[in-house]
Amino acid sequence: MSENRTVLSVENLTMQFGGVVAVNDLSMHIDEGEIVALIGPNGAGKTTAFNCVTGVYEPTNGQVLFCGKPIARNHPAGKIRKAYAGKDPEKYLADPVRLSPDAITSLGIARTFQNIRLFSGMTVFENVLTAMHLRRKSNFLVQTLRLNGAEDRAMREKTVKLLETVGLLDVADEMATSLPYGKQRLLEIARALATEPKLLLLDEPAAGMNPQETEDLSRFIVDIKNRFGLTVFVIEHHMQLVMAISDRIYVIDFGKQIAEGTPQEIQNDPVVIEAYLGGGEDDEEVTIG
Amino acid sequence: MTKKLTRRPSRATLLSFAIIFAVYVLVFVAEQLLPATSMLFTVLKKGATYALVAVSMNLLNGFTGIFSLGQAGFMLIGAYVYAMFTIPVADRASVYQYFDGGVIQFALPWFLAMILAGLVAALFAWLIGLPVLRLKSDYLAIATLGFAEIIRAVFQWKELGPVTNGSNMLRLFPNFNSFNITAADGHVVVYLSTIVPFLIAGVCIGLIVLLLHSGYGRAFRAIHDDEIAAEAMGVNLAHHKRMAFCISSFFAGVGGAMLAMYQTTVQAKSFTTAMTYEILLIVVIGGVGSITGSVCGSFLFVACSEWWLRFLDNEQFIGNFQVPLLRNGFRLVVFSIIIMIVVLFFRRGLFGTTELPDLFRHGRKESALK
Repeated sequence: MSENRTVLSVENLTMQFGGVVAVNDLSMHIDEGEIVALIGPNGAGKTTAFNCVTGVYEPTNGQVLFCGKPIARNHPAGKIRKAYAGKDPEKYLADPVRLSPDAITSLGIARTFQNIRLFSGMTVFENVLTAMHLRRKSNFLVQTLRLNGAEDRAMREKTVKLLETVGLLDVADEMATSLPYGKQRLLEIARALATEPKLLLLDEPAAGMNPQETEDLSRFIVDIKNRFGLTVFVIEHHMQLVMAISDRIYVIDFGKQIAEGTPQEIQNDPVVIEAYLGGGEDDEEVTIG
Repeated sequence: MTKKLTRRPSRATLLSFAIIFAVYVLVFVAEQLLPATSMLFTVLKKGATYALVAVSMNLLNGFTGIFSLGQAGFMLIGAYVYAMFTIPVADRASVYQYFDGGVIQFALPWFLAMILAGLVAALFAWLIGLPVLRLKSDYLAIATLGFAEIIRAVFQWKELGPVTNGSNMLRLFPNFNSFNITAADGHVVVYLSTIVPFLIAGVCIGLIVLLLHSGYGRAFRAIHDDEIAAEAMGVNLAHHKRMAFCISSFFAGVGGAMLAMYQTTVQAKSFTTAMTYEILLIVVIGGVGSITGSVCGSFLFVACSEWWLRFLDNEQFIGNFQVPLLRNGFRLVVFSIIIMIVVLFFRRGLFGTTELPDLFRHGRKESALK
């Protein structure tokens, strides 16, 4: 295995909803062991890009490769062909690929959600245990009749370990939705880790956190990255977090990539500063650096 | 934390088992002591049958979040399959009198026929699930309701007569009374006609509970809580929905076979939409998402409709005073009012999502993992 093995590679990704091009010709790559951030003003298309990678949306054009294997590939056809406003409509004519989100997760991509989506009817413990379901080997009859004792025990042990790692073991029996906001975010990460991912996608993990919590989270993300041998792809508004943990940063605005580089390069990039401060339609208080 | 790693039953679980066991003993003893014609046993037999079907519906509607109204259709399939395969060969000529004794010329033991009833219902569920499970909420409900109606018509079709006996009733198959142990002179030695349906329903509901607390059950509940998150955590939606649909239909089929045994005859026209609504009502009154609720709701519902409220249908006199309003049909009025009260004041049903063991847990919930 070479040192710079590409885990995720996004090529000419375009996502068009009717006349709106939410993501326009986005190309990026994430190498093994990296923490890469995708930033941009509100409505720039960050979450849409995420949803294309995780199979929630079928991209209009372009392809996504995970460890060299295509997980999404499409070219504009049918109704959208006429309205298509992106580039290279002929480049990906080869057989379209569309994996469902669960198939992509089983390949090794796990995600968290911007608006927390925990299983509300379950305890903290069950939330994590449920996410291990796809790694089970036994069928439903074996499970119903409780003939999978060893497997089940191993999963419960792993759940306890995971909860210990994120520091939620003491609330394991609480209902997931009764946790405070910050802990719900941690639980989402724990649940994503339970699917045994190679690549972890975090959609605004620091949303709603204060500076102290954000700092803790930064340390936590680096920590789990090292501990589980992960590659991390993060969308974030908190520049404090992004600058602290990222190896590389991609910046997009109106669906288009406007910059790419290390945190230092991005901080000093006039195009980025213009997009964040000069746009006028972005009322969020964002300070770079 | 060892509690989490093994599935050692908690005190509350053991207590629940004790209560369930006591109920079984009580039913058995009552059956030996009380006259067999007592209304109590009618209620208990039908209640056990409906409890199983209600739990199977709850598995789908309450736990997996698939709103299906096809339960009567799957019960019909189960009832027919059971009846068709258990009528003794000697009696077939009289049952299938218009169809030369029918085409099936063998009889299976009752429990094999009952399992077959479930399997055939599950097979039908798998087939109609292919197109129907792509639909969501109300649309799915309408499609499954339509399926139940179609099935009812198909089973009465004359061309299928040699198999289904057309619109004529199937009868003379083993029923609950066949379980009684009788002496040579026809005198009943041990009554088992109520405890056996209790045992069948108990085993089936037990299996459903075990399933719901297994990995697959958690995946079903994950789909109910949040489809998008479930899919992102690797739960294959189509596969798991189909599976829940088939398993639910399997038990509805077994419930149908039990209903056939309870009624002693089977006729397609009795499996109406109203039957599905009765079961839906039980699920809602008991609490969507509570097995205990469905079981208790079922016995309450059957007792009210068959027994406790019967007096409302007859003219009653207190001394010389005739109580006003009481006449045929008034029972249903009162029944509707009770349902309205339940829906208004117990919006989440009598049990909500509480289960029997939860009732014995105090304060902070103990580990609810069994």
